[in-house]
Amino acid sequence: MRIAERFGTLLQSIKWGEWSLICLYLSLLSGILVGLHYDPHEPYYSTSALDILIPYGAWFRSLHFYSSQLFFLFALAHYLAVFDKSESYDTTSFIVLILCLPVILMLLFTGYVLRFDSTGFSAGMIAEHILEAIPFFGSTLDRLLFAISDGGLQRVYLHHVCSFNILFLLLAWNHLRRYYRVNLTSHLPLVATVMLTGVFVAAPLDPEQLGISYITGPWFFLGLQELLRYLPPLIAGVLVPVALIGALTVLRRKSRWYPHLLTFVGCWLVGYLFLTVLALTIHD
Amino acid sequence: MNNGNHRQVASPARRLILLLGSLLLLYPLIRFIRFKLPRKPKIIEVSGTVKQDGQLLKQDFILLSRDDQLWAVSRICTHLGCRINYKEREGYLECPCHQSRFSIHGEVLNGPAQQHLPRYHVEEKGAPPALFVTIK
Ligand code: FES
Repeated sequence: MRIAERFGTLLQSIKWGEWSLICLYLSLLSGILVGLHYDPHEPYYSTSALDILIPYGAWFRSLHFYSSQLFFLFALAHYLAVFDKSESYDTTSFIVLILCLPVILMLLFTGYVLRFDSTGFSAGMIAEHILEAIPFFGSTLDRLLFAISDGGLQRVYLHHVCSFNILFLLLAWNHLRRYYRVNLTSHLPLVATVMLTGVFVAAPLDPEQLGISYITGPWFFLGLQELLRYLPPLIAGVLVPVALIGALTVLRRKSRWYPHLLTFVGCWLVGYLFLTVLALTIHD
Repeated sequence: MNNGNHRQVASPARRLILLLGSLLLLYPLIRFIRFKLPRKPKIIEVSGTVKQDGQLLKQDFILLSRDDQLWAVSRICTHLGCRINYKEREGYLECPCHQSRFSIHGEVLNGPAQQHLPRYHVEEKGAPPALFVTIK
């Protein structure tokens, strides 16, 4: 019990928001570096060139990959850690901040697609088909965001390096402008850990293999990929994720639906975890 | 959070004009976004040869030869678009994303895919003969 308590206090004492911000800065800087050699017309070739040919390319790509993943994970931890304090936010500000999460996910997702290895290609095509399944404006949305089968990676690249970042900044601006100044020197262990992770752990890249019978998408996409096996894309790919985001935007302690919403979010996450485990185990 | 700025509330008439203006803007915007540049059918010259009763995997299609017949089937899964592979031992095509299966002629054997794979026209031209596949 004591150990659990201590662990809890330790988790509470970590400044997740600052950690997340540091990782965001690392991600942006390494992203600019990776972008110097990345070519959306030769996506896979230029990504592998980064890994194999370009001096320190593998390191910068890995740094970009891991800092971005950590940015998202720390942002989630930050949300959990300050959830009680967020009661002071008015409804609009709260919703706007919650909407940052899907935008960050889209940034991560487009990053995966841009590699255009077998995982990236499949994930991109699946996303395209999911959007097309939305009635009335689905195909317009696809033409706006992906349209990979027709226009290659042009749109995905544009949104990854430009539009989704602007959208994120717009949504998070009110929040960020009060905290964006973080003292780097007080987070040197974190910076060093992320940098060293980049040195020792390569960012994934899955070349196309003949006869491969199972491709798993990005880690946060696995449950969805599994669900798409059983349900039509509109339900599995649109309604299910939108239900979670919708619930999160109204999940406030003062709401009279709070216990029900909490149960829903909890069940959703457990279900998603179950699907993820299923995706990782039974088809191998 | 409230940052203390006073915001001017627009009058109903102004709001209506704004709404109508945005709706009007939506039409050209959607037309612009949805536009697809018409593309010619792609004719691909196949490098490599297809052995008798064999197959040749290319990026967008697979060429198959059986009993003196030669045909090409798309490799893009009709479920959600992943790239299909040929399972040599089992003799069918399988998608690595959700394991839809297709016969070598492109017919669905197993879902979740519901539609058959498109077949492409293959032509033999020139001397020495080369194969050309037309993708629409
Ligand atoms: S994309 Fe091929 S089975 Fe789902």
